[in-house]
Amino acid sequence: MPLVIFVDDSETALASTRMVTNAMPIEVKQYTEATVALAEIKAGMTPDLIITDLNMPVMNGLEFLKELRGVAATSRTPTLMLTTETKTELKQQGKALGLTGWIVKPFNPAQLKQAITRVLRLPA
Amino acid sequence: MLILKSVDDLLEHIKEVQNSVKILSNDSLMSMNSFMQKNNLEIDDEIATAFQYQDIITQQLDASLEAIESMRKSIAIFSHAYKSDEDLANGSLLKLQEKLNSALAQAKEKKERFSGKSSGDVAENDEIEFF
Repeated sequence: MPLVIFVDDSETALASTRMVTNAMPIEVKQYTEATVALAEIKAGMTPDLIITDLNMPVMNGLEFLKELRGVAATSRTPTLMLTTETKTELKQQGKALGLTGWIVKPFNPAQLKQAITRVLRLPA
Repeated sequence: MLILKSVDDLLEHIKEVQNSVKILSNDSLMSMNSFMQKNNLEIDDEIATAFQYQDIITQQLDASLEAIESMRKSIAIFSHAYKSDEDLANGSLLKLQEKLNSALAQAKEKKERFSGKSSGDVAENDEIEFF
């Protein structure tokens, strides 16, 4: 099963994504700190899709994305930003770093599932 | 000067209340999450949204807590200047006003930024954007 990792400093945000993706044919790992996810990636974890929040302490979503692009295993891994932010400037920064897409919170469960299905090319 | 001490005490109280609200709202939803997992309950759109609102509440509170902390620092700097030199304090009063206004403006800007779709300002087609 494809591995999808979620990074969000909010426990409740992670709980909602866990409940939404529960029945999907994917393996899910969740992290409240981008630095921890990054350390596991550098240690050999190879996610098929990364979904990250933007505003997080220690390392924000864009900094995390920049780091991911510097690691061979995740230099081209599809990555979605899941955030309350809607600023075009921030979206452009993400796009320049090879971000796959931008989802605004609160997300619609069906739309999140569709986005994951589309990026991973899962059977609809 | 006493009035500034009262304002600072009030800001400290608001900060404590906001921190408690953050913890309590998180704990209440995580209890609900635990109950749903134990009972294998399926999530619907409304529940998913409710969980995400807690995240938005936390971000909003964090933004206003930052503003409170910034205001308290500005008040402390002014109070120090007032004690050491009255002339310096007159100049500091203007700086204090500027800093308080700036902290408030930043907090208001973050309120907009961290609202996501809950503000109702995001168009349907802006919810998910692929690059």
